[in-house]
Amino acid sequence: MKKLLTVCLIIALAVPSLVFAQGSGEAKSQEIVLKWPSFWVGADTKAAPITELVNQFNEAHAGSIKVEIEENPDTDGYRDKLNAQIAAGIVPDIFILNVDPTTLQFFEGDLLMDFTEDLKGDWGNGFLDGTLNAVTVDKETKAIPYEMAYTPIWYNTDILKAAGVDKIPETMDEFWTMCDKVKAAGYIPTVQMTGGTNAWTSMIWYSHLCAALGGPDVWQKDFATDPVFVQAAELLNRMYQDGNTSKDAIGAGPGDAGGHYLAGEAAAFSNGPWYIARVKNEAPAVYDATEISTAPGINYSGAQTGYLLSALAAANTTDPARRAAVVEFMKWMTTGENAKKVSEAAGSILAVKADITSTDRIQTQFFQAVADASFVVETFSAKFPVDVVAEFGQALAKMAQGKATPEQFVAQIASVM
Amino acid sequence: MIKTKSQIAVDIIAKIGKWLFIAFFLLMTLVPIIWLIITSFKSNLEYETEPLGLPKVWQWSNYAKALNMSGLPRLFLNSVIVAVCTTALNLIVSAMGGFALAREKFKAREPILSLLLAGVLIPIIAFMVPYFSIATKLKLYDSLLILIIVYAAINIPVSLFLIYGFMSDIPKELEEAAVIDGCSFSQRFTRVVFPLTKPGLVTAGTLVFIYCWNEFTYAMLLTSSVKSRTLQLGIRFFKGQFVVDYTSMLAAIVLTMIPTIFVYIFLHDKIISGMTAGAVKG
Amino acid sequence: MRNKNWKQICLFLLPALLLYAVFFIYPLFYVFITSFTQWNGIGSMKFIGFKNFTDLFANETFRISLKNNFIWSFALGFIQIPLATIMALVLARKPKGWKVYRTVFFLPNVISQVALAMMWTAIYNADGGILNSLLSAVGLESLTRNWLGDMGTALGAVIVQQLFYIGYFMVVILASRMGISESYYEAAEIDGANVWQQEIHISLPNILPILITSVTLAMAYGMRHFESTFLMTNGGPAHATSVLGIMLYQNLGALKYGVGNAIGATLIVLGGVLIMTIRWLLNKKSQKMMG
Repeated sequence: MKKLLTVCLIIALAVPSLVFAQGSGEAKSQEIVLKWPSFWVGADTKAAPITELVNQFNEAHAGSIKVEIEENPDTDGYRDKLNAQIAAGIVPDIFILNVDPTTLQFFEGDLLMDFTEDLKGDWGNGFLDGTLNAVTVDKETKAIPYEMAYTPIWYNTDILKAAGVDKIPETMDEFWTMCDKVKAAGYIPTVQMTGGTNAWTSMIWYSHLCAALGGPDVWQKDFATDPVFVQAAELLNRMYQDGNTSKDAIGAGPGDAGGHYLAGEAAAFSNGPWYIARVKNEAPAVYDATEISTAPGINYSGAQTGYLLSALAAANTTDPARRAAVVEFMKWMTTGENAKKVSEAAGSILAVKADITSTDRIQTQFFQAVADASFVVETFSAKFPVDVVAEFGQALAKMAQGKATPEQFVAQIASVM
Repeated sequence: MIKTKSQIAVDIIAKIGKWLFIAFFLLMTLVPIIWLIITSFKSNLEYETEPLGLPKVWQWSNYAKALNMSGLPRLFLNSVIVAVCTTALNLIVSAMGGFALAREKFKAREPILSLLLAGVLIPIIAFMVPYFSIATKLKLYDSLLILIIVYAAINIPVSLFLIYGFMSDIPKELEEAAVIDGCSFSQRFTRVVFPLTKPGLVTAGTLVFIYCWNEFTYAMLLTSSVKSRTLQLGIRFFKGQFVVDYTSMLAAIVLTMIPTIFVYIFLHDKIISGMTAGAVKG
Repeated sequence: MRNKNWKQICLFLLPALLLYAVFFIYPLFYVFITSFTQWNGIGSMKFIGFKNFTDLFANETFRISLKNNFIWSFALGFIQIPLATIMALVLARKPKGWKVYRTVFFLPNVISQVALAMMWTAIYNADGGILNSLLSAVGLESLTRNWLGDMGTALGAVIVQQLFYIGYFMVVILASRMGISESYYEAAEIDGANVWQQEIHISLPNILPILITSVTLAMAYGMRHFESTFLMTNGGPAHATSVLGIMLYQNLGALKYGVGNAIGATLIVLGGVLIMTIRWLLNKKSQKMMG
């Protein structure tokens, strides 16, 4: 019996290790293999065009450079894994960086490849204004800007018409009037949510309100003391009261929030360009009724919110051939032509200057909105570290159910800054 | 035995109460599962806007998508290998250790027992960095073997807890009789205690199997390529950065549930009812 | 006096201890050591003594989380386990269809938490969720509310959802109960004892060790609870449902390894104290019961 147990034990360990344990490490003579864990795979709209670009690159460099995509579609899991790897001292050859103050800490030390010198000149000029700044810390640029997120306000004009609202509100007074009329017609005026990791829709509204109150430099102001942030909070709070939003807004996640808009129940919404395809495919009536606009103006008008969503980064290396390979790949991914391909196939807006002809009505409106904006402000989630952003949602839930004043809301968030 | 009227009344109330109790929990248990299956046939829009109705059109395409999940057979095989091997390894290790702790007295017994049992308190989520470190140092990153070892280790506290509990119940006389008959230490284990702990082993084993089957965090952390990917990672492919294909994901979840249900029904039930036919006590 | 079998004892304990040392002890050292530092995973670790701990205890979210963990532990240990025990005792008497029930009750443990969370979020949804729809249908519209969003009901909602899943412990307790010989019950029946008396005097004493084990295990799960709450409310609203596991995860995500691991260390120490105390109390009580 003991022998049987021992044998079982050995088999339990040996079979998988012999058959399945280590497959990687094909010792190709001089081919440089760059492993790229990526979540632009599977159902992501960018998956197909990006895989195509990688294949073209590999063909062009057959025998010398090979980029291997490692699929990891779960973005939260991706982030956890990246954090754990870096804390253990291992950096993937190439990876996607969601740019925010927390992840910019990766720039410390010598972990990431520094592209500052390479970007001087034509390559650097090919990026949209401000995007290189977003990935530069202490004059070092250690990531290549890739995808932009613009989050304008979406209006369902069918609902507005049904409620007797003849134009998109441009001031807060017009906005509240719109809300009352929309309510009376039996619809939800605004979509809001306090859930998820960043209270996304409400967080975007808050960013718009701060921009409208404080202007292009609103985030330079001191969050704890400047009255602008309390004023914005009061306005956001009002959007939660008196039926100005859905009953499930407190605690709602992005699925619930988006669901209200897709169902044709809500008049005002916000999301990025990636959502366009969703609306088009699943709620064509809503798609046809959607118009992209700015938030109401207060002290400032015509503002839009947007930020650098993701960038490509790479592990630092002392091997010059390897370094050159990485730079080569980065350049390939960010040529105007290749950016155009991805943008047109996926509906995304990239950080590379490209001449994009969009066939999609709403995407065209997106581009127009950005071009027409008097200024663009980062969203709260891009400006502050993840724990502050998480606290935003928590504090918002408290204020929205009347358990905290707007001043306390601001104070609670400021306390974790 | 003749019962008085009041005794009969109490009996009836108790009976009704018993059936209500069972019915209530049946409801609480089955409703989620039924909802899951129904929702897996809906479209995503329906899920988000009308989560409680029946699907207007039964979306068999969700199941087609789930079945077409890239590498599904390989993922399935990987999950099976990991679950089976982990359970075997974990049970052997826990049974051996449990035997030493439950049936022998020695000075270090209490401290070691407390040390091992303290492991149930530990939030494994805190160990991401060390586990990743260990995996790379052992050069086992991205292999099924590391998952087997890690899962087996993670489940030692709970398995040991359960097996130790069951082993403690076995009367000393049975072992003493075996020793008189000439059994050695190991033979007491293999011939007397191990067989008698089968209910405990099967219970612990079922829990370990199911843990392995459903585990996601460390499967994601410690593997990267298809050769060591498990089903749970495959399911996440329906989750994009901004758009989640919830209903296809549910279809995939329903599909992956089926093997575990079979394991539970056939292995656990059959063996337990077989074993408890011959009672231990008395 | 040294046990004469000490060599075999060591051999039998070795595999478990080895795995445990690598995958629990070593990481625990890592957790405890980093809890005294300020570290973002990239730069160097900065030793700051007990500062993480003092900050934590001054932090309101931490205090709420700790309180919630205790509530979870007691709810699981002293509500879920008794329910599981009752069901185990009921099923052990083999009412019609008991095998089916036993299988069904265990099923939720087979389903991934992700699916269960999706389901319960739909039940608790404020805008037409099952619970609210049911309440309205029976005329109790005034009781409808945003179960997961309202600070007053959120914690209760997430706990109640888990309390129903008695399958896990019911199976364990049932296995122990079914190991008791039928002859005891037959003898008691002949002596005129009714079901209630039989359960109290025969079943309970014999399954007591497993019961204590189960309560201890359930309380431990309560202390390290994470997944279902994370999936349903992410610790919200306003941290009302927050637990230490969630705080830990969020701090690790914010690259605050020192703080996160301090939370882990606190959880383990406090949890250990709680559970050892309960275990000691229960053991004393059971000794009294056994006479």
